[in-house]
Amino acid sequence: MSVNYDPELINKVFEVTEPVEINAEEIERYCAALGETNPIYTDAAAAKKGPYGGLVAPPSFAVTMRNGRNFFQSVPRFGRGGFDAGKDVEFVAPIRAGDRVTLSSHVKEIYEKTGRSGTMVFVVIRSTLKNQNDEVLAHIDHRFMNR
Amino acid sequence: MPNHVNSFEDIKIGDTLGPLELFVSKDQCRAYANTMGMGGAGRFTDDEAARKEGLPGMIIPGNMSLGLLSKLVTDWIGSSNARLTRMSTTYRVPVQPDHTITIHGFITNKNPADRTTEIDVWMENEEAERLVTGTATVAFRK
Repeated sequence: MSVNYDPELINKVFEVTEPVEINAEEIERYCAALGETNPIYTDAAAAKKGPYGGLVAPPSFAVTMRNGRNFFQSVPRFGRGGFDAGKDVEFVAPIRAGDRVTLSSHVKEIYEKTGRSGTMVFVVIRSTLKNQNDEVLAHIDHRFMNR
Repeated sequence: MPNHVNSFEDIKIGDTLGPLELFVSKDQCRAYANTMGMGGAGRFTDDEAARKEGLPGMIIPGNMSLGLLSKLVTDWIGSSNARLTRMSTTYRVPVQPDHTITIHGFITNKNPADRTTEIDVWMENEEAERLVTGTATVAFRK
């Protein structure tokens, strides 16, 4: 069995989001939810003396950008809905409060895999996050599993 | 067991990070999901809704697992002259709240040419089953 999809989907940017504005409270709530205590993420005065010269979000904050937002509506789905199977994230530069972040996304690859529970179709979406100065913050490969 | 790394030179292949033992309650899981705008997906906030999707009950969002594995690494980095540059995760088995999870790290490689180190990271349940596995790269400044 091979999975059918339009090969033109691959590598074509399907979505560039409106900028998502990141505020300090949001970073603070994220740190609280994860139990983060590192002062470079939680204490503005200490962070000023740290490696980034000010408060930055923990690197993993980058993966939360889609949460609660209707991004990826046009991503191809196979079978009954998709589960998050994993991520591969390259952190290029820290996200700071006040940043306006856009996600530009394309389908990187679609492949099949047979495991204990049968055949699964994986769709890998690559999103590039940039700030208001067009600087790349992160590349995120989202691996969705469909079955 | 070094809790913090001081310098690239100090790292040895085979060094461990953690283990960090955590009890993530259902309320903490719901708080994360609601704070991060994921409350709409019932599988992260409600046992019944999760079971309807064929899950054993509420599960911890993959992003939260990725966040906790990243935190193991950034805690180890502390305020030293290094940066987490890559984190790759595979969600193997759903992670259920109201259980004790343990997070581990193990240095697998050290590359003096670009001053990076590779770390295997994983999350286990009480039965030592690996629920989430991953690899991290940390780069040290010169």
